[in-house]
Amino acid sequence: MKARRPLMFLALAGTAALGVTAATALGAGHAQKAGTPKRGGSITIARIEDSQSFDKTNVFQNESIWLTEQINETLYTAGKDGKTLIPWLATSYTRSKDGKTYTFKLRKGVKFSNGRPMTSADVKFSIDDARAQSKGWGYLDAAIKNITTPDPDTVVFHLKRQWAPFLADIGLFANGIIPNHFAGQTRTQFYKHPIGTGPFMWDKRVIGQSVTFKRNPFYWQKGKPYLDSVTWTFVTDENTRELQLRGGQIQIDEFPPFNSISKLQHTSGVTMSLFPSTRTDYLDINESYAPLADVHVRRAISLAIDRNAIIKSVLFGHGTPANSFLPPQVPFYDAQSPGLQYNIAQAKAEMAKSKYPKGFKVTLLVGAGAQVESAMGQILQQSLKQIGIDVTFHQEDTSTEFNDIGKRKYQLGFSYWTMDIADPDELVTFAIDPAGGAGSFYTGYDNPAVVKLSHEAQVQPDPAVRAKLYAQLQVKAANDAFLGFLYYSPYRWAYSSKVHGFFVEPLGNYHLENVWLG
Amino acid sequence: MSLGGYVVRRLLQLVPIALGVTILVFFLIHLVPGDPARTILGNQATTVRVKLLRHAWGLDRPLPVQYLKFMGRLLHGDLGTSLFYSVGAGRLVLQRLPVTLWLIGFGAVLAVAIAVPLSAFAATHRDRLPDHIVRAVPLVGLGFPPFWLGIVLLLTFGLNLGRLFPVGGYGSGFTGHLHSMFLPALTVALGIAPILIRSLRAGLLEVFEAEYITTARSKGLPERRVLIRHALRNAIVSTVSVLGVNIGYLVGGTLVIEQVYAIPGIGQLMINSIFERDFPVVQAVTLVFSVMVVLVYLATDVAHALLDPRVRFD
Repeated sequence: MKARRPLMFLALAGTAALGVTAATALGAGHAQKAGTPKRGGSITIARIEDSQSFDKTNVFQNESIWLTEQINETLYTAGKDGKTLIPWLATSYTRSKDGKTYTFKLRKGVKFSNGRPMTSADVKFSIDDARAQSKGWGYLDAAIKNITTPDPDTVVFHLKRQWAPFLADIGLFANGIIPNHFAGQTRTQFYKHPIGTGPFMWDKRVIGQSVTFKRNPFYWQKGKPYLDSVTWTFVTDENTRELQLRGGQIQIDEFPPFNSISKLQHTSGVTMSLFPSTRTDYLDINESYAPLADVHVRRAISLAIDRNAIIKSVLFGHGTPANSFLPPQVPFYDAQSPGLQYNIAQAKAEMAKSKYPKGFKVTLLVGAGAQVESAMGQILQQSLKQIGIDVTFHQEDTSTEFNDIGKRKYQLGFSYWTMDIADPDELVTFAIDPAGGAGSFYTGYDNPAVVKLSHEAQVQPDPAVRAKLYAQLQVKAANDAFLGFLYYSPYRWAYSSKVHGFFVEPLGNYHLENVWLG
Repeated sequence: MSLGGYVVRRLLQLVPIALGVTILVFFLIHLVPGDPARTILGNQATTVRVKLLRHAWGLDRPLPVQYLKFMGRLLHGDLGTSLFYSVGAGRLVLQRLPVTLWLIGFGAVLAVAIAVPLSAFAATHRDRLPDHIVRAVPLVGLGFPPFWLGIVLLLTFGLNLGRLFPVGGYGSGFTGHLHSMFLPALTVALGIAPILIRSLRAGLLEVFEAEYITTARSKGLPERRVLIRHALRNAIVSTVSVLGVNIGYLVGGTLVIEQVYAIPGIGQLMINSIFERDFPVVQAVTLVFSVMVVLVYLATDVAHALLDPRVRFD
């Protein structure tokens, strides 16, 4: 999934202007009050970017995905911890002894927002369509051989091979259930105003301004959703979003900047929440640049990163140093994996063992106007100077930065990852497998022993054994220092203290059926 | 040359200008580093998926081929399809254009409403304290960047003084637009008004020296009538040109104001399309911007001529 950075020059100036009135903010942030949910009312959520598309099978943008999830639901979904999978449109499943057949029992009484009952034919059609999308998320369904529907309430998935992440893959938003044959429309027509079983249904959209969903009267969770409608608006400027929240024009502000968290926590009528996320930020190390192909150099760089200084300076303390390339909110994350933490003496020792004991010059790709990257870059520059590495900045706008990293036209750079499924396989394959489609997170890293562990974990049905495999993998990958693991940071949401039941899960999605206005 | 002939000639000049703009914009936007497929798919997309999308959009074809296709579509009135939204770029631009026209028009009206009385007041109090205040204070306003001024106006009138105006947005219906667009239009106006005030004040002072003003006064006409009927009408001619030039400049200047006030206009569309490398939309918006600027200058010339019969069309 991808996100975008705002116009930094506007943000800076606006933040300065807002600072003038920060002193007028009264009282403390309100904790969410418990109480009986009330039905009715509408909310507006202001976010940084407009939705691109509602075709869940082909869209990679968070601002689209999180909306499609209000309409299209999956058979299983990630729990609040982001690690467990809970039954949703299915009530249970069984797995054959050879691990290649999964049989799901569908929840009874589920209807689409057009009033038609959901059956196994809808499930088969939906997932067959999703896995056929070669430009979209189809690759995550590659293990599926075919799907059969012995009766309207039963769906059987036949796999090509054992595939441990299968249940997590089925919980991917792209595998959300839609009506068979797009309810009689063409694919393009359907995704202009999709139909699903979710708590909300399509109402209207003004491109570039807003998207509105209204309550699905046929929703299967009795009494839910509580809200009559939800509108998402597109307000690029973070200062304007904050003012709109304080002025009551919106009820939820997506991603206020880190430097305003403290102020919002002390603003009357506003709840500022930090939800554990799967976001992990990295220093990309391109091994095609000779010095960076030396494992001792990479280890020295990882050891020289002062993660706490970065967290203090960039996240204003709202983060934790990363010890693994996997985030804590993903299954099989190994908290015991030490990673390579800040230790200048050890970093110098690693440099001494390398082919470049006297250091070398390297360029760091930084997004133009990206405050966070500039600040991190400066800290990194100071740290690496101590071990003889002379860092110069190369600035590109963020679109070009993405592109250059994707084409491996960089030496050092910054990137991040957020999970799409409740299983590490997607990230592990992307990050460490040279054949995973991204050349090991665009670094060129290739350690056959690590790749072997990943392949074993993919087909290992026993979670305990998988945990051991991933633990070994995380330690080896950390010692190879193929990326600099920087920090884990939370999702930031500010909302009116009248809003109750709002919770953002580690995968970034939120269940608006639980939200009500007090 | 008659007015009609002059307008037709100027409109015909639009064709080569628009053609030049298409060539310039098309190749410049493609020369800018960055790939729309990578931008839309994000940093987690594999190289294969990026390549597939580039191919689907035809971005892997040679640039001249892409330009010829673009021109072929343009001749049929098709500005292409937005890579981000997958809808017609022309439709997007047409949807946003009225919003920006509202902002510019409302801003220009407010600027005139501020500048005319203040410059008249300053000119009639030449070199006295009111004159110095009118000349100095708006200049301070001119020094503030619009995004800063915008946030301060939002804070003051949208939040701290009883929420008199909405914090951003376009509103709905005529009164809704008027209400929502007041602060953005005021930001626009505060940017132009100081220039208009200086121009109009100087024009008025020059006119006040004219013999026909002395005659009007000697006839015993009230000072108010001398100012409005004789002085202002003649002094405003040069200010109309100044206003025209500034509105032309504003067409580009709305980018920032729309961003701060969350106004879904053409400027906001332009910024987001550049970020997304949405080539067809960037091309469409630039084309529309260039046509708008030419039309504003044309309207200024026509207004100039209507106000001053001595002006001839050549």
